[in-house]
Amino acid sequence: MAKAGVPMARKGNGASVPRRLHRFIGVIAALYVIFMVFSGLAINHSNRLGLDQGHVSQAFLLDWYGLKAPEHIQSFAVGDDWVSFAGSQLYLNDMVVSTVIHGKGAVSGNGMIIAAGIDELILLDHDGKLIERIAWAAQGPEPVESIGLQADGSVTVKAAGQLWLADAELLNWRQAEASSNIPFWSETTAPPDSLRQSIEQQYRGGELSPLQLLLDFHSGRIFGTAGVVVYDFLALAVGFLAISGLFLWARGRRNGKRKG
Amino acid sequence: MTLPGFAPAASVYETQAEFLQRAFSKTQPAPAIIWLSGERKTNVSQMLGHDYPAMRLRYWCQAERSAWILEEIGKELPITVGVIIDQDYIQSLRVLTYRENRGGEVASPAFSDQFNGASLAASGALDTEIDGISGATLSVHALTRLANVALFLHGESGCTDGA
Repeated sequence: MAKAGVPMARKGNGASVPRRLHRFIGVIAALYVIFMVFSGLAINHSNRLGLDQGHVSQAFLLDWYGLKAPEHIQSFAVGDDWVSFAGSQLYLNDMVVSTVIHGKGAVSGNGMIIAAGIDELILLDHDGKLIERIAWAAQGPEPVESIGLQADGSVTVKAAGQLWLADAELLNWRQAEASSNIPFWSETTAPPDSLRQSIEQQYRGGELSPLQLLLDFHSGRIFGTAGVVVYDFLALAVGFLAISGLFLWARGRRNGKRKG
Repeated sequence: MTLPGFAPAASVYETQAEFLQRAFSKTQPAPAIIWLSGERKTNVSQMLGHDYPAMRLRYWCQAERSAWILEEIGKELPITVGVIIDQDYIQSLRVLTYRENRGGEVASPAFSDQFNGASLAASGALDTEIDGISGATLSVHALTRLANVALFLHGESGCTDGA
């Protein structure tokens, strides 16, 4: 029901074509602007909101981005802990602790966990904190093949068939006879299913932060080229609203003067 | 030592072996270790503006001369720097490995020679003003922070006593 003084033509089907078009596009553009405002604010304050930390874990989003599980996960039982290599990631149990190239094994010695990559040894404490990375190139150009423990618990590395024995602090290395008896070599072991699944999920999500997800939503890139084009049209719609609004305002003023 | 996430396309200006050969031309000392814990860790964190991403550092000491290989992020990637300190003064600071796409001018001796003779002022800061390089500001700051840390750790290591 129209209120007194409000012309019927301004409501419902009686509205002019420009006004109806303005109203229709206005509703769509309003939703777009609201989303852009709030997502933009969140992006501007992403550090404070912690959006650049952590990673997305929802399976459907990881699938949407085409993020796949690692082809191989190599796990090594180290005391009560598990050290795993997945792609270039090094995991202590289900926690990413470092990067590594071609994991070769892991042992525990002198209160530390020592993970061997092809070109370095990574020393961790049992909470996963990095103690030191030791570049193997200091011993020679040959890549690390495997890591093991001597009978006294000190660390041994095999590189190009040559054995290297470390002191307790892993500061100094000396070559040993290739025929030396090394009672333990680190060998890959199947991890518990729950650990494997957790590592796979983390590996997939490691590439995608909440901030990246929000940026892709904000720009429309999450929907590919089509999303960007739709966002372009929505941006143009906002521009149309501004122009059509000015037009309607100017027309209203002109009509008002004529009536006056 | 290498920080996590380094890029494979790095410019290596000097290897660890070459650096140590330059630092101790005759007899190379055995490496030693200094742990970053307690007040020492706090001081290093204050100098860097963040925690050093390792709990211990190895260094080489002979008489009152020490050699340090340290890393610090320039803009996005770690810069590996070798610092030689003799009797509390920097004798040489050189970029060993540079991984950033831009700002590699800091690897030039013309720049890094500015650190020669620098030591710690009473305030704990570097007593020498380091001129910046346009386009390499973050790398210059990273090297300056590492120079500060190396001088501090030299004092902490006991190498000053001829250890």
